[in-house]
Amino acid sequence: MSDAPLPSDTQDALVPVTVLTGFLGAGKTTLLNHILTAEHGRKYAVVINEYGELGVDNDLVVDADEEVFEMNNGCICCTVRGDLIRILGGLMKRRGKFDGIIIETTGLADPAPVAQTFFADEDVRAKTRLDAVVTVVDALNILQTLKESPEAHQQIAFADVMILNKTDLVDDAQLKQVEDTLRSINAIAPIHRAQKGNVKLTDVMDRGGFDLQRVLEHMPDFLENPEHHHEEDLSSVSLTVKTPLDAGKFQMWIGALLQEKGADILRTKGILNFEGQPDRFAFQAVHMMADGNNIGPWKEGEPRDSRLVFIGRNLNRPQLRRGLESCAVA
Amino acid sequence: MSETLTLRGLIEKRGASRVVEGHITSCAASRDHQRFAFTTGEGDVIVAHRSDLTDAASWATYAVHDGPALSVTPDTDPHGFLTGGDDGRLCRLDMHGEIEELGKSRRWVEHVLSYVDNKTSYIAAAMGKQVELRDATGRTVLKTFEHPSSVSGITFDAKGKRLAASHYNGASLWYTQSKSDNPRLLEWKGSHIGIAMHPQGEALVTAMQDNDLHGWRLSDGHNIRMSGYPTKVRSMSFSANGKWLATSGADVVVMWPFFGGGPMGKPPAELPGAGGALCTRVAFHPEQEVVAAGFADGTVLMIEPATERVLPVSLGGNGPISALAYSADGCMLGFGTEEGLIGLVDLAAA
Repeated sequence: MSDAPLPSDTQDALVPVTVLTGFLGAGKTTLLNHILTAEHGRKYAVVINEYGELGVDNDLVVDADEEVFEMNNGCICCTVRGDLIRILGGLMKRRGKFDGIIIETTGLADPAPVAQTFFADEDVRAKTRLDAVVTVVDALNILQTLKESPEAHQQIAFADVMILNKTDLVDDAQLKQVEDTLRSINAIAPIHRAQKGNVKLTDVMDRGGFDLQRVLEHMPDFLENPEHHHEEDLSSVSLTVKTPLDAGKFQMWIGALLQEKGADILRTKGILNFEGQPDRFAFQAVHMMADGNNIGPWKEGEPRDSRLVFIGRNLNRPQLRRGLESCAVA
Repeated sequence: MSETLTLRGLIEKRGASRVVEGHITSCAASRDHQRFAFTTGEGDVIVAHRSDLTDAASWATYAVHDGPALSVTPDTDPHGFLTGGDDGRLCRLDMHGEIEELGKSRRWVEHVLSYVDNKTSYIAAAMGKQVELRDATGRTVLKTFEHPSSVSGITFDAKGKRLAASHYNGASLWYTQSKSDNPRLLEWKGSHIGIAMHPQGEALVTAMQDNDLHGWRLSDGHNIRMSGYPTKVRSMSFSANGKWLATSGADVVVMWPFFGGGPMGKPPAELPGAGGALCTRVAFHPEQEVVAAGFADGTVLMIEPATERVLPVSLGGNGPISALAYSADGCMLGFGTEEGLIGLVDLAAA
């Protein structure tokens, strides 16, 4: 499925949802409790899985079942979490009771079905927005975990924010190695170092998911000279086009691309400058499901570059670059 | 809340309304047609007596569930109600306002139904992947039906012989009196989110996540596809004679013909809507060929399919209609909205 990006002016009315993911023992529940008990004057509804090892200290906690469903739209990667559709629908019936929703996934979960639920279900889309996928990474064990588990790769690739936890348990050289490894998979998610989940809340909550500007501004330069990756590995490709884009051409191209390669492309994010539009357009996709909206005008004097990032496997950088460049206005 | 709304239509002269706290999740009349109950997202049940129907201030509120009350159905006795909630409880609210907890599950109780005839009475409750079939008292579980995934809807057939449940990849048809514990499995790939049984048992229809309906002709399992909706179909209702299946999910009331060889190869009839607002709830009159429809702008209409005559029940409401039901004698029609408006109309009043 490749829905045409829908402009939306109701972003603020939507309940922000934070998805907390990370491998077993990385410290998800510790981080969750840190968020819940911090002095922020906000109330959260929490959706947990029943196998959580630690208790969660919150008034409104809902158990999830992790029922992953395929959509009947012909693409096998369009899986959604049926239980979440129900739970989020139920939570919306007591809308006034909380300011945001936090979903904790099991350590072994692939984040794709959770993220895709926010694209695929009309009722979920109408009332909530995915604020950010926050991936908690255990600095001590992640390199070993990555060797053993494809899910750990997916969780890092899907992150909008990475919390590198347990940094007190490794030395600086190891820490650098871990960060380089995380960067090689996901070049755009900011990495915040933490011990026992002690992060600044503003690093995790209310990321405004698609105010990608900040994220894209800080995109490291080495992306433009990527090291060689094994084809099966997940990696990022980042592209910049200075000429304004033709919105119609872009949608044709990205729609066809995601239709064909969406199984390999886990996430796509970008800030785009469409010809004739005063506003920046934020685009994002999870596998084949795409979405987008205007996020306000460009700043005075800011270069109106279109930036697009792909995270996935078997990414052909020259081909992607030529594709995006072909969307520039003639 | 002190919100006052000026509603127009039948409700002005023959009914009353009130705004309560919380999203209205369901509504139903008692078996003796003397009471009408509404459930809310706050866990409350509001009960109106027919004798005080036009005096909305007299409708009583009972705090039954902790968290949203999800479903209400008439009790097996003439007077009371059964409710299910997000708190995992199956409760009875009797005529005196006493609350009895009949069951407690770790899972939400999203669907509750009862069936009563001269010989048998059942209560059925869907809890997560299970459906419990209980006796008339509700205190004894007769059978527990297990499903491969969460149950999204349940329905009895017209004779209480079969209970159908929708779930991922199809529906299960269980025999209430069978010694065997295996259902007839009706398979169709995908996520099924609601269910309706043809009153003469000819077909079983499910609503799907993918904005269409699926049906099975029960005589031979033949698959029926009914598609073309812009949104999910959240509400379905068969006419008493089985000729029509009314559905929500479009900006008109979409009616599938179950006669003359239909609905296979037949286009649905489209009854007038409410000026472009999405139809969110439908309920066929229990005897006559008249359908009630609720819309996303709060409008409630009664429509006669044969003539397409429209009778406004309530205009000027607030928020999408989220609950709509007739009493079994067809004399009361109740509705509720996502914003907490509840309304009740006495169609037999002089």
